[in-house]
Amino acid sequence: MLSQAMFPWILLTAAFLFTLGALGVLIRRNPLVVFMSIELMLNAVNLALVGYSSFLNSEEGQVFAFMVIVVAAAEVVVGLGLLTRVFSIGRELDVDDLDEMKR
Amino acid sequence: MSTSTAALLAGLVLLFPLAGSALCGLLGPVLGRRFVNLAGTLSIAGAFAVTLVIFVEVLGAAAGHQSVTATLWNWLNLGSGNLNVSVSVTVDQLSVLMLLVITGVGLLIHVYSVGYMEHDDGVARFFSYMNFFIFSMALLVLAANLVILIIGWAAVALSSYLLIGFWYERRSAVLAARKAMITQVIGDVALVIAAFLLFVNLTPACPPGVHCAVIRSGHLYTLSLPQIFAHAGSLGTGTPLITLICILLAIAAFAKSAQFPLHTWLPDAMEGPTPVSALIHAATMVTAGVYLIARFHALFDLAPIAAGMVACVGMGTAVMAGFIALTQQDIKRVIAYSTMSQIGLMIFAVGIGAYAAGMYQFLLHAFFKALLFLAAGNVIHAVHDEQDIREMGGIDARMRVTAWSFLVGSLALAGFLFAGMFSKEDLLGFGLLNGPGAPALYIVGIAVNVLTGLYAFRLYGTTFRGEPRSEAARNAHEARAVMLWPVVILAGLSAVAGWALQWPVSFGPHLINAFLNPVFTAPGSGPLAKAPGTWPGVIGFLIGVTCSLIGIGVAIRIWWRRDLDPSRLLARPGLRLLPRLSFNKLYFDEIYDALLVRPTRAVARALRRVGEPVMDSWIKGVSGVATDFSSAFRSAQTGLIRDYASYMVLFVIIFTVAVMVAAGLTR
Repeated sequence: MLSQAMFPWILLTAAFLFTLGALGVLIRRNPLVVFMSIELMLNAVNLALVGYSSFLNSEEGQVFAFMVIVVAAAEVVVGLGLLTRVFSIGRELDVDDLDEMKR
Repeated sequence: MSTSTAALLAGLVLLFPLAGSALCGLLGPVLGRRFVNLAGTLSIAGAFAVTLVIFVEVLGAAAGHQSVTATLWNWLNLGSGNLNVSVSVTVDQLSVLMLLVITGVGLLIHVYSVGYMEHDDGVARFFSYMNFFIFSMALLVLAANLVILIIGWAAVALSSYLLIGFWYERRSAVLAARKAMITQVIGDVALVIAAFLLFVNLTPACPPGVHCAVIRSGHLYTLSLPQIFAHAGSLGTGTPLITLICILLAIAAFAKSAQFPLHTWLPDAMEGPTPVSALIHAATMVTAGVYLIARFHALFDLAPIAAGMVACVGMGTAVMAGFIALTQQDIKRVIAYSTMSQIGLMIFAVGIGAYAAGMYQFLLHAFFKALLFLAAGNVIHAVHDEQDIREMGGIDARMRVTAWSFLVGSLALAGFLFAGMFSKEDLLGFGLLNGPGAPALYIVGIAVNVLTGLYAFRLYGTTFRGEPRSEAARNAHEARAVMLWPVVILAGLSAVAGWALQWPVSFGPHLINAFLNPVFTAPGSGPLAKAPGTWPGVIGFLIGVTCSLIGIGVAIRIWWRRDLDPSRLLARPGLRLLPRLSFNKLYFDEIYDALLVRPTRAVARALRRVGEPVMDSWIKGVSGVATDFSSAFRSAQTGLIRDYASYMVLFVIIFTVAVMVAAGLTR
């Protein structure tokens, strides 16, 4: 389906999305947005994997992409669980406010 | 029709609503209501136009060439004798009939929604979801590969979830959406397990006249539906394996079509906007289970036990839902239970092998049920979002067009004069000769006729006749044209469709039968269900219509003219329990709560009480060790996630540059 010439563009798109996600993680303070940024990074990797899979004509990339999707789903479950706990003990949802790892 | 034409047309049917969904969802909030109304309805109009072209192509194709399977592209290919998934579509009589209803009735309901959602701020979201539903439903019926079918199957459940919970500020809507989703997932899991079993077990079936010992070696490892059906014979007739596969498929169908015991989500799904109830929870999505069984008829023909179970469950649900519908007070819930009951009849029909009769009921039911819901939506709109029929009454003088249309719909539902009369008597006629304990279930079906007449005219009488019982009902006024025309068109279709399809050969096989039967007699499928002869057919027809009339007549006397009072009869000791049982929906929600929800909660609580101290002491111990160890590196540890993330990014960059430099040096 994909022409070989498109492949660099796919990688560039993936790199761009990854950078966008990484910047989001570093800059934003709302943990929900941080989660979304992490999702963006994971999906950028997925895009690269599927792009490689098509370029190298091998299915392994797609299999890895599925693994990433599963891991991402698990990660969101844990993360949202943590967030609801934080919220339910009456804390503000701000990553700079949560510095328990220091103590 | 050539393969490439089929691929192009089917692709267009899928593309139109998908594009509409994306446009409404992404650009709708920016470009505003008029754009959304236009894009949301025109996309479905486009899909409907293409469907008409497909229909003409299928009608014009030579006998034996109506079914075309085309591959759009290959998705996964792990070599021959291994997993191959291609995005492929089947265009045949069955899928085109489904598509006609999905896009045709869908178009009318989209037009209606323009009026219904006029004052709602989420209109872009609404049309985006609705278009996505049409896309997923089209994908489901067109799929020629089990994986694609499962994707459509799950996407349909997703859009149903999104639309039930459309008013997400309402707690009850969110709970209803969640309930629907959980029930759907039970069916999804069953479908996926059935797919696994088919994938692992299918071997090449022996063609007639060939010695099988030679042929039967090796597995097919295929998920392509035409191949599965062609080789279904290799699973044997009535073996435990094929029975298990068919039961799993049936569970999937029950979850989607709201059949016992997975039916409790459908009444709650009425929390969604009324056009959603009309399109998804009456006309199309809930009939996907009927479609699934009709599509997999080659398998069900081999598993008489599973098929018999399907028939019994369908008829059982039909009676149960009809009984519950008798006492519900919410206008939409009464129609929801009638949907469940009518779909029960369809499931019964496909269970006894009368597939064409089931699809006939599906077609006509889509017309009159969408009509009833849209007319009910007009009433709900007119009485300011009141849904309790005790607060209505006397609306017929205030909303003449809606009331007449609703009357047509009620007659069609009850099975007198209009649509339902033809399809219901037709499928009950098959019940006389086919299925487990043939005439027994037929008699139950006749009882369903009486029940249907009763609840249909209880609803009509209480809502539209008599004196207004609230201020809102007194001030009700007719809906606007954009909400009236779809109702009138559907009323016309409900009135005419049955006559038109059966006119040239009345009481005999109808046109849908002739149109669909090539699908069900394709190589690999079992014999067709025995059709009743002319005179038994006519007598059965008359008995059925008489029973409907009894139901209608009693209902008119009780709830319309009010000269018959059932309360004395129901006060008798043996019958006293019945109204309570019916009103409380046979206590299904309570039973499920006691059997499933509460034990799960109790286990979770117990685990928490025991587990928390144990786990906590572990974790606190580990974290204590870590704290002691890391106190040496304390100053870098601010405890702030963002700092840690920055370290990670920094070092990833450093390492990447280092590797690049190293690679450059060694070259």
